[in-house]
Amino acid sequence: MANLKDIQRKIKSVSSTQKTTRAMKLVSTAKLRRAEELAKRSRLYAEKLNQVIAEIAGRIDCHKVGGINNRFFAKTENPQMVDVIFVTADKGLCGGFNIQTIKAVKKLIAEYQAKNVKVRLRGIGKKGVEYFKFNEVEMFDEVINLSSKPDKVRSDEFILTSIEDFKDGKIDALHIVYNGYKSMITQELHVTTVLPVDTAEYDCNKTQPQSMLEIEAQDEERVLDSLISKYVSYNMYYSLIDSVAAEHSARMQAMDTATNNAKEMVKSLKVEFNKARQAAITTELIEIISGVESMK
Amino acid sequence: MDKLKLEILTPNGKIFSGDVMSVTLPGEEGEFGVLAHHASLTTLLDAGVIDIEKEDKSVESVLINWGVVQVDEEKVIVLVEGAVAIRGESESAVVKALEDAQKLIADIADSNPAIAAVSARIESAAHKLL
Repeated sequence: MANLKDIQRKIKSVSSTQKTTRAMKLVSTAKLRRAEELAKRSRLYAEKLNQVIAEIAGRIDCHKVGGINNRFFAKTENPQMVDVIFVTADKGLCGGFNIQTIKAVKKLIAEYQAKNVKVRLRGIGKKGVEYFKFNEVEMFDEVINLSSKPDKVRSDEFILTSIEDFKDGKIDALHIVYNGYKSMITQELHVTTVLPVDTAEYDCNKTQPQSMLEIEAQDEERVLDSLISKYVSYNMYYSLIDSVAAEHSARMQAMDTATNNAKEMVKSLKVEFNKARQAAITTELIEIISGVESMK
Repeated sequence: MDKLKLEILTPNGKIFSGDVMSVTLPGEEGEFGVLAHHASLTTLLDAGVIDIEKEDKSVESVLINWGVVQVDEEKVIVLVEGAVAIRGESESAVVKALEDAQKLIADIADSNPAIAAVSARIESAAHKLL
């Protein structure tokens, strides 16, 4: 049986861990509320923007409007190089949040490599960056401190490289992988293809005949370009916001579980402590009694 | 006169949603007005002012910096990046909105020559409310 003092020390250490995890949970809960609010407000905008783009893309695809042969909408048959952007947290202690994203990225890379396509990996978030560095996976560039504090200007700057390279034909597709917020207790992994714009969901036969796309022929390229870059950069920004909300919800949950585990552990340690204490008393009593007996 | 539904969405949420009589939008190729049963169209918006004529005939102005609009027979959906609605219950709220608007104008001033006109218009819209 363990020494009384040892058990006591253990109890103390576990309860102080419990205090830490509980504090972290409370912090995450507060942060989550703010992040969730932001994500909720942006969601509507993101959805509508995606709808508008999907409709335009669909129309261009169906009717071949004005012979538009825009790179942004045309699917490349034989991609040479693709961009994969992943968003992870800057901090750990949030359960499987980061590793889920990393696994999805690895799967995506493996799929492309099987097809002999080069993957240019661009990382956001310290945890993911560290992981790929440790495993000696080559990364094109990396940004930290962005995923914990989403900032529109920095996110735009980051994504601009991909947009320009796509326009110039250096890359043939752009994927964003991130773990998004679904509810207080669940996160949802998103592997999105941002470029080229997906036209699959649009049903050509369902278009209303009177609906038309009002773009003057001479500057359709410019209009589409500006619309698409807004669309892509907003998607990037939204991924960041969504990811922060998910990160906090994941951490809140992980810390809640940790606090509960610590509570359980303290409980069982206390039982052990009491058993040891009683055993010590019994031994002492026996010693006294046997001492008295021997004196008779 | 028939009404149409108008929604103005920004990354920070909805700033306008409701039935209106008409809406005037600053399109890339010039200003255009939309009444109910307008033919469908999708187009880009420039920095400028959206004038909303509400059911009670009062006019509300919203300053935007960039946007895309989707019009169909029943509704108009405007997606904008940055927007400030010039409205407020009290004088101080209107002044605050005007300050916000001028900040937004300053942010976009570098690229657009039409900004001075926009700035003047937004001020006159605010003065009407004061």
